[in-house]
Amino acid sequence: MKVRSVLIACLAFVGMVDALYLSIERNAGPIPCHVTHGCTDVLTSKYSEIAGVPLSWFGLLFYITIMSLMVFKAFEDVEHPLNLPLAAVFYLTGAGLVVSALLVGIQAFILKAFCEYCLLSAALVLTMFLLAPNPGRHKHPQ
Amino acid sequence: MSKLLKPVVVIILAVGVAAGAAVFLSRGADKKTDNPNTPQHVEVKGGGHIRGSQNAQLTLVEFGDYECPICGAWHPFLKELLNRYPQQLRLEFHHYPLVSVHRNAMAGAMAAEAAGEQGKYWEMHDALLEHQNEWGESPNPEPMFQGLASRLGLDLNQFTQSLHSPALQNKILQDVTQAQDLHIEGTPTFFINGEQIHPKLSMEDLVQLIDAHLRSK
Repeated sequence: MKVRSVLIACLAFVGMVDALYLSIERNAGPIPCHVTHGCTDVLTSKYSEIAGVPLSWFGLLFYITIMSLMVFKAFEDVEHPLNLPLAAVFYLTGAGLVVSALLVGIQAFILKAFCEYCLLSAALVLTMFLLAPNPGRHKHPQ
Repeated sequence: MSKLLKPVVVIILAVGVAAGAAVFLSRGADKKTDNPNTPQHVEVKGGGHIRGSQNAQLTLVEFGDYECPICGAWHPFLKELLNRYPQQLRLEFHHYPLVSVHRNAMAGAMAAEAAGEQGKYWEMHDALLEHQNEWGESPNPEPMFQGLASRLGLDLNQFTQSLHSPALQNKILQDVTQAQDLHIEGTPTFFINGEQIHPKLSMEDLVQLIDAHLRSK
């Protein structure tokens, strides 16, 4: 379980770098893509912010939360294991996955442009979701 | 207490390292962001609107989108630059409305061209960029354009007709074709005397670059 926590924390760390990078680069000029086409189109579109707050800031908060939960889990007392962090990560990444799917859909069908940094974030969320154990499955039968 | 201390220290360190990595990548990207498809020296084939001295030594070409927030942010600085170098520098503006992300970008370009038909292109250019937030995402920006035209003292009937002029639309599309031929990825994209300016160049760097160009003349 510790390996899984460390893995998820590492993925969240990569997500933090990604979100911070986008927060720095946004509004600093065109953002060239290296793999896809249309990073600037996506990152300056009206879908790139909510009430004036860039989505990358929400992403940063999301990844810091996931990483913090996993770091606490990794440092847990073996005699008193913490169950909350993994359950929280499962539900948080599940919600993140829905948001990511929506954002990838917007890129594919509305903007018709893809931002590689956003796709990386979606891939990270999906991997973290798959790594996080479903708390429902670990309940002992009555 | 010590049980809490370790994870908290690790989290703080991780956030710090992530911030450092992001800044490092951002600076590294700045050095490598030149689009390999974009020629270093290009010849922009005219058609743009010129602001500043006709005999200026330097021409700063801008491919811009009236709805693009970064173009809006650069706008006051470009005006300041032209004031600073009244004889040495001129601005040549070309349209590159990013219609896939900015719903009214094409309409904004049409409004500028329509005002240009009555000799007030730059006045409308300024007004559009300064009031981006008012018309940018409006489902029907035309009344706002008419409001701006009215403030500029334009003939509203003529302006409204010009807003739908296929000839003006073709003029804008010629700029778009030129931007695509130059493999321009976003707005604003600048060229000085045919040399593409780095997309992440700061405003201060641009002043230094202009000074360097003027010294070399």
